[in-house]
Amino acid sequence: MPPKPKKFICTFCRNDVKHIDYKDSKLLSRFVTYYRSIQSRFHTGVCLKHQKQLASAIKRARNMALIAAVRYEK
Amino acid sequence: MTKYEVMAILSNALDEAQAKEETKNSIVNKIKELGGTITFEDFWGTRGFAYMIKGEKWGYYFVVQFEIDGTKINELKRDWNIDKNLTRFMITSVDPKAPAPRSQEEIKKEWDAMEKEKKISEAESPKKGTRRPAAPAKPAAPAPVAEKAPAPAKEAKPAPKKDDVDKKLDAILEDSSLDL
Repeated sequence: MPPKPKKFICTFCRNDVKHIDYKDSKLLSRFVTYYRSIQSRFHTGVCLKHQKQLASAIKRARNMALIAAVRYEK
Repeated sequence: MTKYEVMAILSNALDEAQAKEETKNSIVNKIKELGGTITFEDFWGTRGFAYMIKGEKWGYYFVVQFEIDGTKINELKRDWNIDKNLTRFMITSVDPKAPAPRSQEEIKKEWDAMEKEKKISEAESPKKGTRRPAAPAKPAAPAPVAEKAPAPAKEAKPAPKKDDVDKKLDAILEDSSLDL
């Protein structure tokens, strides 16, 4: 029998995060792709509950110009 | 009465002192006039935008948490939309699960401390890409000598144990009280 693969735990679940704030842009910028679109759950390993919170937080931060919505190539 | 949060951006035509006055006059006092109570205030200071807003590249950020009757939010929105010193604002309801609000200075200090710890840990541990680990292998060479000394002692101990086991087995076999 091959060994059981380790179950990956969401980074927010591991740190017991109850609510994701739209104000800390440094945290949100980690969950964004090169072209500044929201990174999918498949790549980051975030659970669905926290992904929904993340998405709304990123959208709010974009509205207030804390995070860029698009990356412009110069 | 429900909890709300406002993040407002003041235009960069004002000085910092003027911006602080403007927040008191147009935001804080207006909430109080409509019967609201303010629970948290935080003036961030200047901050650059991620993109241009109304031809401006930076502004003053201001965050307030307050409690007010839900029907009076529309009045606040109407007033702030007319105000020319406000480049943009956003009203959100506060999540009851969210932790107590903290000022931006505290959060910045935490991040800086985290980054310092990271830099120290990176400097202490050798990098993965370099072939440096070959050098510390030399001092590791005498280590096996030290390990050899306790090794025979370990082997010596189990040897007498085998005899003990045989004796015990014999004693058990000879025991007439046991039914095998």
